[in-house]
Amino acid sequence: MNDEIVLQVEGLTKIYRSLFTPVGVKAVDNLNLSVRRGETYSIVGPNGSGKTTTLKIILGLIFPTAGSTTIFGSSIADLSVRDRIGFLPEDAYLYDVFNGEELLDFYAGLFGYPRSRRRQLVDELLTLVGMQANRKVPFRECSKGMRQRLALAQALVNDPELLILDEPTSGLDPAGRHQMTRLILELKKRGKTILLCSHFLAEVEEVCDRVGIMYRGGVVAEGSLSELAGEPTEIIVTTSGVGEAQAAVIAAQPGVLSVSDGVVRMTKESGDQLWPVLETIHQAGGRVVEVSRPRPSLQDVFVRAIRQDTVEEA
Amino acid sequence: MRHGKALLGLLMVGILLQTVAPQESIHKARPALFDPNRKTKPVSAISIGPTPAMIAALGGFRTVAADLLWLQAERVWDGGSWWALLPLLDAVTQLDPHFILAWQVYGWHAAYNMHAESETVIDRRYWLARGANILEQAVEANPDNWEIRFELGWTLYDRAHEKKRAAEYFYQADQMPGAKSYVTRLYYRCYEGILDIKDLMPALEYAKKRHTDLAKSDDVQHQVIVNRDYEWWMKHKDDPLEHRRQIVIENTARAQRSVPFYLYPDDPYWDVCPICGLPSKKGSEVCEVCGAPLKAPSQRGPATRGEKKT
Amino acid sequence: MTPQLISLIGAVVVVVTLALTRRVWAPAIVHAIPSVWRIAKITVAEARRRRVLQAVVVLVVLILFSMTFFSYLSPGEQSRMLINGGLSAITVFGILLAIFLAAFLIPQELETRTVYAILAKPVKRFEFVLGKYVGALIILAIIVAVMTAVLVLVLVLQDAMVKDLPDSTFNPNLEGVLFAALMNYFAIAVLTGLIMLISTVSSTTMTVISSFIIWAVGSLQSTIHDLAEHADTAATKLLLQVLYVVVPKLENFDFRNEVSNYLHVSYMSGWDALLQGLGYTIVVLILASIFFNDRQV
Repeated sequence: MNDEIVLQVEGLTKIYRSLFTPVGVKAVDNLNLSVRRGETYSIVGPNGSGKTTTLKIILGLIFPTAGSTTIFGSSIADLSVRDRIGFLPEDAYLYDVFNGEELLDFYAGLFGYPRSRRRQLVDELLTLVGMQANRKVPFRECSKGMRQRLALAQALVNDPELLILDEPTSGLDPAGRHQMTRLILELKKRGKTILLCSHFLAEVEEVCDRVGIMYRGGVVAEGSLSELAGEPTEIIVTTSGVGEAQAAVIAAQPGVLSVSDGVVRMTKESGDQLWPVLETIHQAGGRVVEVSRPRPSLQDVFVRAIRQDTVEEA
Repeated sequence: MRHGKALLGLLMVGILLQTVAPQESIHKARPALFDPNRKTKPVSAISIGPTPAMIAALGGFRTVAADLLWLQAERVWDGGSWWALLPLLDAVTQLDPHFILAWQVYGWHAAYNMHAESETVIDRRYWLARGANILEQAVEANPDNWEIRFELGWTLYDRAHEKKRAAEYFYQADQMPGAKSYVTRLYYRCYEGILDIKDLMPALEYAKKRHTDLAKSDDVQHQVIVNRDYEWWMKHKDDPLEHRRQIVIENTARAQRSVPFYLYPDDPYWDVCPICGLPSKKGSEVCEVCGAPLKAPSQRGPATRGEKKT
Repeated sequence: MTPQLISLIGAVVVVVTLALTRRVWAPAIVHAIPSVWRIAKITVAEARRRRVLQAVVVLVVLILFSMTFFSYLSPGEQSRMLINGGLSAITVFGILLAIFLAAFLIPQELETRTVYAILAKPVKRFEFVLGKYVGALIILAIIVAVMTAVLVLVLVLQDAMVKDLPDSTFNPNLEGVLFAALMNYFAIAVLTGLIMLISTVSSTTMTVISSFIIWAVGSLQSTIHDLAEHADTAATKLLLQVLYVVVPKLENFDFRNEVSNYLHVSYMSGWDALLQGLGYTIVVLILASIFFNDRQV
């Protein structure tokens, strides 16, 4: 990951106005974000927070009320920019009468690739997304997982530098989600810059470098996972076979905050005292099950950020 | 690009202006397309067919509607209801004025069938006039068609016996491409029938010059017939006696067909002498040939109202 | 101000505007051709896969063959009925197909969101619109060609059957039939463009309803022209004249009457009709591109 900014959004605002809502509904409110080359940035937020609207504005599918978006330093209206990006829409639907092979051939053709190159690309992409065996199955007969994989393949047809994925795992079963996440990680390893939109926080935690939490059209918190979650506050040692007497002995050790139900809590600075505590547990006849340094999950951060935003508003 | 939409707007206006001349050219080349009232007018004061608005509303499907009504007319004809045929044929011809067969049948139906059906002289004169009127409208709607002019000419010649008018139409039909050779012959036969020697001889000269190319002619006998007639009339054109004999032949043929004698408006000869058997001019009281008195005064003149058909 | 002068002014405006903007449109067109062609091809392929179009063609073929049941008519009448009915069937079905094809092309892509995958690629919006239009034209050309071929076949077969009858006046008028069918196709092409324009701004249902109204009004252009000339007030006259300009001149392409009555067919006015229709369609497609360009998908 380097410092080159691939996608820059500044002051983006989108107000939907109609005859019945002349004042308008603010879908995106003064949004600022930037994505650096090679990083995986995720926008998370509840339904209706403006994630998909933001992506659509970035891609030029809808037009902002205010603000600007630049990709590789140019506007999306510049066709050369679209040569370098790939988009996986939410609940992607492609022409359902065609099979995977025909669809990928069509999309590759839109980039002007000659027939030989297209054939090669189709083969490579079908292998990458695991659809080689089902290349002749029409889109309408594909399962949800197969459709998402084909949709991802069409987004990769031009080997894009920037990938924009809108809810890539929505509607998939756990196996499908796992597969999709593995694919995204693979793409990340290949050096792609990825802008991901999701409300599956677990998978976001797995793949992302930076996260932007969107709520009611704006970013309420942004940063890397560790920045958002903060440092771990404690060291937790989970034990078994430790009686009350032994618990009292362990609790007396330096750095130990408390012992209860076999769970030993130590201060985050007491890393040096860990070994003596473990020895004490062993001498007391107990067994160490696990040693961990938990930090707040993204879910916790998410809920906290939204609550904070609501409180601030009040 | 700056002012992009304005320039596009200018381009669109320019393109639309460019389409004005071709549209005008179409107006000129296809006038029938732009005359929703067509050239046809209703035969009577009350139109018994569809109104111009109904015709216009059908748009390009007028001809299909005409076809469907024509099929209906065929069924009605088979059923024998001659009166019901009239509004149908009127509708067909108004919907598609270029449907020549429909005009022919319509005119023929009025001038022949309805005429024969009628019991009074007034009615019969009416149907004859109506048939001719229908065919005149057909000619107006189809100025380039020889068949319909021929049809009108034939109706006037054979049914109404207005041979002078018939001759005009036969001549006009003969000028058009595709006209058959019998049209040429009928042209001079009209003058033969009314013994108009002044017009007959030029007509025969004209007929001789027509259809001389045997390979293209539809009737190889045409030249033979015309030459024969021409020679006969060259010999007898100044022989009134022979003319009168021709009239007798003609009258005999008419009597055999029971054609009423009041239908000879153009015939110069009227009464046949009971002594010599030859006709004299209309209004003569004595025979011009043998001097015998012709019919009694009470027996002279056209048939009175109410006389039944013979 | 003669019509020729107006057209000349129009031509000058077009040439000057194109000359001033050639640096914009020339490369745009060069880039557009392959994209438009690809989108057209996929449109045609999709229509082929959806067997609906095949079913309609089969239906029309059956209708055309059923017209040979008019054998009780005289040969002269038969040829007239066959030509008339056959050409009218091609007109009706051609236009129905055009309406249901064009009204669904763009709105369906927006509804199923298949358009997102395409517009994220280096494809301009006007290329998408043009590609859909060209695809529709190809589909309609195939259908009209098949229907015309069947009509010609029916006429040729019928002619062969009645040729030996005495005084047979059956005249298949094949040249006229082919000309009328071709002109009919151009009328359908003009109408399709207008339907696509409407579809860029309204829903499928509204587009279909509007298309039927436009078809009816377009077929009555001569009545509108006549009404405009005999209008009572200046306002009515202006309104009718504007309506006359806006309406597609479908009657210009209607040669059924001339062909079925064996009248003289003016090929020159067919060419004029084509020029007029082409200008109209170009304007309509430019408008469609502008509207679709500004549309939020």
